[in-house]
Amino acid sequence: MARHNLGTVVSFEVTRNLTKRRFWISTLIVPVIFGIVIALVVLSNTATDKSVNSQKNAKLTFSYSDASGYIDPALVASFGGTLAADPKAAIAAVKSGALDAYFAYPADPTTQTTRVYGVDEGIFQNGKYSSVATALLVASAEAKIGDAKLSTLAQGAAPVVSTTYKDGVEAGGIGGVIPPLLFLAIFYIVILLLGNQMLTSTLEEKEDRVSEMILTTLNPTTLVVGKVVSLFIVGIVQMIVFTLPIIIGYVFFRTALNLPEFDLSSLDINPWQMVVGALLLAGGFTLFTGTLVAVGAIMPTAKEAGQVFGIMMALIFVPFYAVSLVVSDPHAFIVQLFTYFPYSAPVTAMLRNGFGSLSPLEATIVIVEQFALGIIVLRLAVRLFRYGSIEYSKKVSLKTAFARS
Amino acid sequence: MEQAAAEPLVHIRDFRMDFGSTTVVKDLSFDINRGETFGFLGSNGSGKTTTIRALLGIYQPTGGILHINGQPFSPENGDRLGYLPEERGLYKKESVIDVMTYFGRLKGLSKHDAAAWSHRYLERVALPDKAKLRLDKLSGGEQQKVQLGVTIMNDPELLILDEPTKGFDPVNRRLLMDIIDDQKKAGATVLMVTHQMEEVERLCDRVILLKDGRAEAYGTIPDVQDQYGGTMIRLTYSGEIPDSPHYEASLRDRNYAELTVIGKVDEAIILRELVDAGVLVRSFTTTRLSLDDIFVKVYGDENELVGA
Repeated sequence: MARHNLGTVVSFEVTRNLTKRRFWISTLIVPVIFGIVIALVVLSNTATDKSVNSQKNAKLTFSYSDASGYIDPALVASFGGTLAADPKAAIAAVKSGALDAYFAYPADPTTQTTRVYGVDEGIFQNGKYSSVATALLVASAEAKIGDAKLSTLAQGAAPVVSTTYKDGVEAGGIGGVIPPLLFLAIFYIVILLLGNQMLTSTLEEKEDRVSEMILTTLNPTTLVVGKVVSLFIVGIVQMIVFTLPIIIGYVFFRTALNLPEFDLSSLDINPWQMVVGALLLAGGFTLFTGTLVAVGAIMPTAKEAGQVFGIMMALIFVPFYAVSLVVSDPHAFIVQLFTYFPYSAPVTAMLRNGFGSLSPLEATIVIVEQFALGIIVLRLAVRLFRYGSIEYSKKVSLKTAFARS
Repeated sequence: MEQAAAEPLVHIRDFRMDFGSTTVVKDLSFDINRGETFGFLGSNGSGKTTTIRALLGIYQPTGGILHINGQPFSPENGDRLGYLPEERGLYKKESVIDVMTYFGRLKGLSKHDAAAWSHRYLERVALPDKAKLRLDKLSGGEQQKVQLGVTIMNDPELLILDEPTKGFDPVNRRLLMDIIDDQKKAGATVLMVTHQMEEVERLCDRVILLKDGRAEAYGTIPDVQDQYGGTMIRLTYSGEIPDSPHYEASLRDRNYAELTVIGKVDEAIILRELVDAGVLVRSFTTTRLSLDDIFVKVYGDENELVGA
């Protein structure tokens, strides 16, 4: 009777992962902290807005001196201020509390510092003095320009859109870089979240002495594939739990969080780059998963397997040390090396794909390499699990594992 | 898995297993017939577990044929195998019922049937209140009971038990033997590795003794007893016992001796030899060598602790 046990393995592995208290503690800790940060930021921003508004509207008794000649006396009068006859006397008045504040504008406020003296009202309230001093300077400058549009232009607040061309075709710019780089982000998240679990996924059978029962009940390929699939499902659950507060924060609290509005229409989605990105992600995932499972199969304990995890993580971060070279000179020797070396290839190729410097031939070679090596390593992992997992307390060498085959 | 009843369920021919330059098992051949209980005996390191692992496809044999039901074993065609390995263990951080149900499903039962069977079994072995506990909260003996349940839950046609009573107290050992008896009555073929010779004499139809990876003896228990001088004579006497090609004096005191008969010799001939040599025979009783005696005789020179 043929048995289809993949579903049983996936169901068992997913259920026991998702019903573990430890899983939910480690998964929820990030969104909970994020939620707390959002709440604090919202509260803080609300308080700051109120404070700024109140400070702008605050009726201060203040005096000023103006060596620049930019400050408009009528404007100062509307704010409730007066020209100081003697700066030293004004400062003395502030010290005694007879005057709320005194502003000393220098000859050139663009290069020299404007001095603000005020009665201390606590760290959060003291900001109103510099707010009023700055508001006076800006309003006086706008009044001197005499045109609101010119005034806006002087502040550099003019919208500019660039259009560039590559091979006679309009290039996507940064809007064309972001979508394919999303695959790189997903690759990092998946490997960082699940890498350690991949490494230790087959160790439990060894540590709990259940390998022989499993090997005589279930094809090891089914077990390994089932574990990989279940890890992927668990990873998706984790990603949803992680991203949900970010999405909620963006959709419902964007203004309170001072988040910029993200215009999706500015994104340029190139189908070829997206397909290449997706294939690089899948191939890289296969290779890294196979390698981590294979390493786990020959290690006797999670502690010893963990030492290898650091090396694997270093390999996916190495290309970032040469990221400027990857972007500016993709044909440099080191970039070519990173592009084709199997364990640095996914990140390097995804970066180059995002920046449009990965040729179709290079993309094809890397994708084929990743899938081919990934499948070979996965098969090796199954073999190592089969012959290495019954060496319960020993670290198994490749030679030993193959001697049993 | 249906085969002609006459064909052996397990068929091993010229099995050889090398690990690197070390030969662990060489030229091993034996059959296990359907419905019989077969004792697989030998000292530690004699190759028993290696043979079982090769039979079950965990190791690839260096040479020879290892068949169950006429074909090499694989999990895909092993629906009705029950295997209790020497290295015991289940998923310790999972609940008893979850682990039993999981293995039941892997062995082809529905989730409902696997859970129902597991609850019935836990009742029988006095663990009904432990179903939802994590396995690592159970004692070692309780964990072994659960593992035995996992082993037999698919109504196995072939039950392979590697030292099944290891770690059991006498009460639970009897319970385990009752369960094995039930499996036999249900038609299971049992391959049992054990160092408890009284269990072998009570349960096994045939045995094989392995020494240094070779079959030292093979057959029914009386066959093996015959092979090792099967009969022992206990004698009280006066006089001098002469040397003879028909027996070997394994114990010789002033008035008492134990003589191991060599080959198939009529006890009356030995008695006649003694009388003719002038020995005054006061009592003369014959008994067969126990498997325990034979085990000590075969492996005694290895100076090794049995059952370690």
